[in-house]
Amino acid sequence: MAFYRAHVLVCKGTGCSASGSSSVFDALGEEIRKRGLDQEVALVETGCHGMCEMGPIVVIYPEGSLYCRVSVDDVPEIVEEHLYKGRLVQRLLYTTPDRKVKVPRYRDIPFYSKQHRIALRNCGYINPDNIEEYIARDGYAALAKALTSMKPEEVLSEVKTSGLRGRGGGGFPTGLKWEFCRKAPGDKKYVICNADEGDPGAFMDRSILEGDPHAVIEGMMLGAYAMGADEGYIYCRAEYPLAIKRLVGAIAQAEEFGLIGDNVMDTDFSFHLHIKEGAGAFVCGEETALMASIEGERGMPRPRPPFPANKGLWGKPSNINNVETWANVPNIIRNGGSWFASIGTEKSKGTKVFALTGKVNNTGLVEVPMGTTIRDIVFDMGGGILKDRKFKAVQIGGPSGGCLTEEHLDLPVDYESLTAAGAIMGSGGLVVMDEDTCMVDVSKFFLEFTQRESCGKCVPCREGTKQMLLILEKITSGKGRMEDLKILEDLAVMVKEMSLCGLGQTAPNPVLTTLRYFRDEYETHIRDKKCLAKACSALISYLIDPDKCKKCGLCAKNCPVKCISGDRNTPYVIDQEKCIKCGTCLEVCPFQAVFKE
Amino acid sequence: MNNITLTIDGKTCDGVQGDTILEVARRNDVYIPTLCFLEGLTPIGSCRMCVVEVEKNPKMLTACTTPAQDGMVVHTQTEKLREFRRQMLELIFAGRNHFCMYCSQSGDCELQDLAIEHGMDSVRYPYLYAGFDNDATHRDIQMDHNRCILCLRCIRVCAEKVGTHTLDLQKRGWNATIVSDLGRRLGESSTCTTCGACAQVCPTGTITLREFAYRGRRKDCDDVVESVCPLCSIGCRIKAYVRTGSIARVEGTSVTEPDGGQLCKKGRWTLPRSAERERISVPMIREGSHYREASWEEALDLVARNFQKAHGADSDGILVSSLCTDEELSLFVSLFKDGLGMERLDTFDGDVLRGFVKGFEPFRRQGVRPFTAAHNILDSDCIVNLSADPDEEAPVIASYMRVGTLRNGASLLNLSCKTSPFADITDVDAVTATPAQSVALVEGLAELVADLKASGSEAQEEGKISVGELAGKTGIPEETVERIINKLAGSQRPVFVLGGCLSRDPGAVTSAVNLAIASRAIFEDGIGVVPLVVSGNSLGTINTVLAKEPWIGRKKLDFLYVYSTGLVPEDEESLSAISGTKFVVVQCPFWAQPLVNFADVLLPAPAWFERSGHYCTIEGERRRLNVVVPPKGEIRGLASILKDLSAGLGVEPEKPKESPCGNLFASEKPPADARMVSLEEVRN
Repeated sequence: MAFYRAHVLVCKGTGCSASGSSSVFDALGEEIRKRGLDQEVALVETGCHGMCEMGPIVVIYPEGSLYCRVSVDDVPEIVEEHLYKGRLVQRLLYTTPDRKVKVPRYRDIPFYSKQHRIALRNCGYINPDNIEEYIARDGYAALAKALTSMKPEEVLSEVKTSGLRGRGGGGFPTGLKWEFCRKAPGDKKYVICNADEGDPGAFMDRSILEGDPHAVIEGMMLGAYAMGADEGYIYCRAEYPLAIKRLVGAIAQAEEFGLIGDNVMDTDFSFHLHIKEGAGAFVCGEETALMASIEGERGMPRPRPPFPANKGLWGKPSNINNVETWANVPNIIRNGGSWFASIGTEKSKGTKVFALTGKVNNTGLVEVPMGTTIRDIVFDMGGGILKDRKFKAVQIGGPSGGCLTEEHLDLPVDYESLTAAGAIMGSGGLVVMDEDTCMVDVSKFFLEFTQRESCGKCVPCREGTKQMLLILEKITSGKGRMEDLKILEDLAVMVKEMSLCGLGQTAPNPVLTTLRYFRDEYETHIRDKKCLAKACSALISYLIDPDKCKKCGLCAKNCPVKCISGDRNTPYVIDQEKCIKCGTCLEVCPFQAVFKE
Repeated sequence: MNNITLTIDGKTCDGVQGDTILEVARRNDVYIPTLCFLEGLTPIGSCRMCVVEVEKNPKMLTACTTPAQDGMVVHTQTEKLREFRRQMLELIFAGRNHFCMYCSQSGDCELQDLAIEHGMDSVRYPYLYAGFDNDATHRDIQMDHNRCILCLRCIRVCAEKVGTHTLDLQKRGWNATIVSDLGRRLGESSTCTTCGACAQVCPTGTITLREFAYRGRRKDCDDVVESVCPLCSIGCRIKAYVRTGSIARVEGTSVTEPDGGQLCKKGRWTLPRSAERERISVPMIREGSHYREASWEEALDLVARNFQKAHGADSDGILVSSLCTDEELSLFVSLFKDGLGMERLDTFDGDVLRGFVKGFEPFRRQGVRPFTAAHNILDSDCIVNLSADPDEEAPVIASYMRVGTLRNGASLLNLSCKTSPFADITDVDAVTATPAQSVALVEGLAELVADLKASGSEAQEEGKISVGELAGKTGIPEETVERIINKLAGSQRPVFVLGGCLSRDPGAVTSAVNLAIASRAIFEDGIGVVPLVVSGNSLGTINTVLAKEPWIGRKKLDFLYVYSTGLVPEDEESLSAISGTKFVVVQCPFWAQPLVNFADVLLPAPAWFERSGHYCTIEGERRRLNVVVPPKGEIRGLASILKDLSAGLGVEPEKPKESPCGNLFASEKPPADARMVSLEEVRN
């Protein structure tokens, strides 16, 4: 094996690819060759680093320097300065949001320094297309350990000891779930990986699959061994082409290495793995709908019981876990359940990956120990609120989660505390909102999503979310009445309790939590017909400050409905009757004379 | 079975392990409202009306899907539940256009009933005035999506009972609608069999049958009579609704019956429509080119005189419909066969039946019943179609075959001279060029499969046919023959559906039974063969009017008494024999063309809905036909007519010796004892 003095890691995850990392990768290769460094420097494509905001990301070892937003034009300089002369390219280093400090080393960046990476251990560090790199990072060691020195019950008990809970949102103890499936009578059992990540803004599962597919495969195999299954399915949404490509490659390589197939590692254990591409229905992330979809039926949930552990895929006992859950398993077997249990809080063990988005400086993926406070995540790792605005709320758990306020900033993030506060862990979406966010608008946004994704099977979800959305639309357009709030709240409670599956049972959460913590905003919309955050277009008007107006006419020229009049001598005025509140005038005015009220 | 005890609304309720909460509640007379639930269909828990609270369980559970457990304490009528149910009903009403006063099903609607029950006097949500389609493209079935509550009963009955899976859902959430095929309108569907099951199970006015709209609500009908459909050999049970003396609608019975309580397009439409047909209401006598009305005395007198003349010259015959009841058949036999010693009695399509009888004879001599109840197709793991066209001959059998294949995972083989009528779901389609080749295929397969099952290997006995020879003889590729053999050898409970067209050659019937025995198609009630014998009471004619040898058309007769129910067209051969007869008496309820044209005397008869009696069905049961509407005017029952006729003839009818269904249903010896027989003894 060749020995290199430096490794250049280029992120080719979906985020960095979108900002052009492929051409950066090619340019680096070209430049390294041109400089004759290709015998000394290895160029590696990796999965996601998490800090997608700063992509394309290039990390160079052994120094561990991280370059942000690298473009093709920067490539000669990186090669010349860093690889040839050994000097850091200062201007590409990560800069803290206050623009004071440039951080030369990857692990010193606050975004990373507070993380504890277990599920994301290899993401951004190895080439996901190369099984040998995974093996070099102790990959498949856990499988070997289990198959050769542990009984299935021991694997199961190790997972139980670890206290691992479902990372897909439910938070059900994984060991217990496995035990149900293991004890269910039947010769044929299935393990399923739920990779139908559909929450808007959530992409932790995608990053794991793209950056470290073998971890998921190994986890599933350990589960299959523990439960007595010999076949697995990965249900991955078709909108993740790169993840699917990586999985296909990983499965093929594992098969080639004799790690998947009959008599794995010359033991009695056999395992076969298939990929099923989902067709874009959010509800298929619900386990029973997912299994219906694998079976070729319309993806609609079935009532439980019977639970999948007894009657799952094709009526056989099945166990279904989320990508992140599976990715944790090899680590647990390798390091022991008590190691995992030493991380986190009393009831929530280990770490959790969050997708940090919204009005925060550093968006991206962070993996933190359970019990980390929201403040740590938002202000330390996230680097605080964009443009130093005021923090208002954070939506945890995606469209099924809830909005938490400033008073919850010091809430430790674990299953119990979040549920008590009205949110859920969910799959780990974390949307930060600032003072410019209208909470009624936010709950409308999430409900629009869940309402659109309702499969239509059960009445409360199908009809209830539709009516709730209508009420919210009424309120945000200034036509709400006070009694609507009562109807909305009653409906939300009913839908939450009566719906068939998790989608309907959690869809009212954004409404319920905003009603709980931001009721005054609803009331202002109804009583005063005002949106204080100036987000609900029906409740605001665009005006021109005659003092600031320089009578340039740009606003009138760009107005799509020609509702602005004025001339060189008189300040421009917006005709409120005709205005469609598109906001173009505000954008084009060079003198900030246009304002919302 | 483990007995369990639950407390539901304070009442101690007994149940059995495996019951759902709803099943226990219903059995113990505790009412739980339901909407999407329908007994016999897979419960889906989608309407949420049956949601109950179970102590120590934080979740709301649907009674229709949740297994009952010993010691459960269930509450079905808490204030919270009633409020939630009311809210859901309001949501349903607001969601689509449920404006009862414009709906043909008002008063006959489960949604409306629930709303009344829950005191839903207003709706707090705005009406959405959905603009979905009213699909009126189908000739008989109308589907107004604006009234649909998406209970999915129609989809489930179409998939689980009818087996066509014509209906499914399209789009999602609030926009979801029922769709036929892959997005067609119902009238353009290529799979819909127009059986109307979807309309029968629809709880609202979404799917309605035009024929029955505004003919009377089910509840308001004067009477609901259970009877039997006479149109094919299954004898499906029906419910006929009577309002102001006429039939308002015809439906299948409950879907919990072993046969699924189905009704095919024949039963659904032919029966109620026949009530509108023109009747023969008084006896009539031909005078030149027209008929004149006559009194019963005059007409029967004329019949008696002509009969006596012909009887003396041994030139008389009696031709009876196989849709007659056992009782009617016995009446004919006791007067003409036993009383007068006539030989020439027969039924329409007698040849088909004789073929079955002759083909089955060697096995009946063994004391084994050579066929099985039709619904056993649903229990089979390998369904073999032998030249049958079930969609035409007995559509409900076609449903069994589709459901067996699609839902129960059976293989479907077609060994026939015609392409499989189930093109998309047939595992092996062995189509021969000629019917003879197809019979030869069955014969050869019987030998090969018997060898395989007996010895457990493919060792060849000398003198027996080889796969290669069979392939050469039948024109079926060798590998196809191999596949069929493997399927049959590997199956536990194969069943063979025998088409009526095969039975013209009794050898074909025998070899089919041989193949069934070779494949160990053994059911409790007989060998796994389902013969599609023409009509409702074909089996009942076997011990009564069916002639040993065919005589129709063999000789020009002077007198023929034809008794028809007027529901199915007569076969060509019989018609030409009738037309060649000197004096023809036609007794028929309807002006059935062309039969009535040949009559010299026309006698009225009670229609299917005016008669009672019994049918011997291929389901293996004697089923009772009941009077739905009593006959009016001069229509008399067969017994009183034949009594007058026998008085006129001066003959005393003999008591019938055999009961029509006598030995048809019992297997004296266990079916497993059946042996294959040589074909020579049947063919010669």
